[in-house]
Amino acid sequence: MSDSSRRLHGLEFFLRSQQRPDTKASGIHARILDDVTHVNLRGNSNDAEFNRGVEKVLGQALPVEPNTVSIRESHIYWLGPDEWLVVSKAADSPGLATRLENTLRNIHSSVNDISGGQVTFTLSGENVERVLNKACTIDFDAGTFKPGHCAQSGLAKASVLIGCIEQSRTFELIVRRSFADYVARWLRHAARHHGIEFR
Amino acid sequence: MFLIQCPWCGNRAETEYRYGGEAGISRPKDPDALSDAEWSDYLFYRSNPRGAHKELWNHAQGCRRWFEVERDTVSYKIARSYKLADRNSESGS
Repeated sequence: MSDSSRRLHGLEFFLRSQQRPDTKASGIHARILDDVTHVNLRGNSNDAEFNRGVEKVLGQALPVEPNTVSIRESHIYWLGPDEWLVVSKAADSPGLATRLENTLRNIHSSVNDISGGQVTFTLSGENVERVLNKACTIDFDAGTFKPGHCAQSGLAKASVLIGCIEQSRTFELIVRRSFADYVARWLRHAARHHGIEFR
Repeated sequence: MFLIQCPWCGNRAETEYRYGGEAGISRPKDPDALSDAEWSDYLFYRSNPRGAHKELWNHAQGCRRWFEVERDTVSYKIARSYKLADRNSESGS
């Protein structure tokens, strides 16, 4: 893969400005991911042809239950009754939008590669819910926000998409690129008592 | 916290929403045929009742869909909220 096709998160400066992580209690592990493909997909999930086309390309069905995320090779987030976000880290994912477009050509739908506009964080560790609960009205408690659940909401006033992607309380946090630096700094500040380490 | 029920996402905090004004106002079919008074009535005049009020809301920080809410302007109690497609039926929740 040539350098120009890489999808960088753009927070290198933030990572460099990080003080040495607090080794005595590195309670939260935050990763800012490079090379993640985000495809916004719209269409009618009651249209069998649309569903077939999507499944053929993605190998998994679209979640139709509100605020759920389908977690297999790709993470497919429900964004609205006719809107989904496909998040993929596969090596061939830069061509995902083109493959979807070709397959859905004659079907009423819309496919947009928005990888350059969003930044993906993964957050794990025992106290992640506590930190997120500080500035979001969604209840992230393990009893209510389970793996496969997701929510679009505001975190410290920034619009975010948060999904619980693993049993071990790992969250995926997706924000607009222009908010990524702010959200990362907010996380570092909000999680300082638990110890947070960015990678 | 004031909770509003989005027909798709369920109860969410008011801060996630944007208010869209009084519901059920449709654009006149033939604007040229209207008098100035009728046109300004369509553009600017709203009912502003004391009590039950049908209004539009947008789940701006959530699923970004528009829907209607029946809210009491005195008590703020929400009687029901429903999708725009269901606005003519009584079946909303």
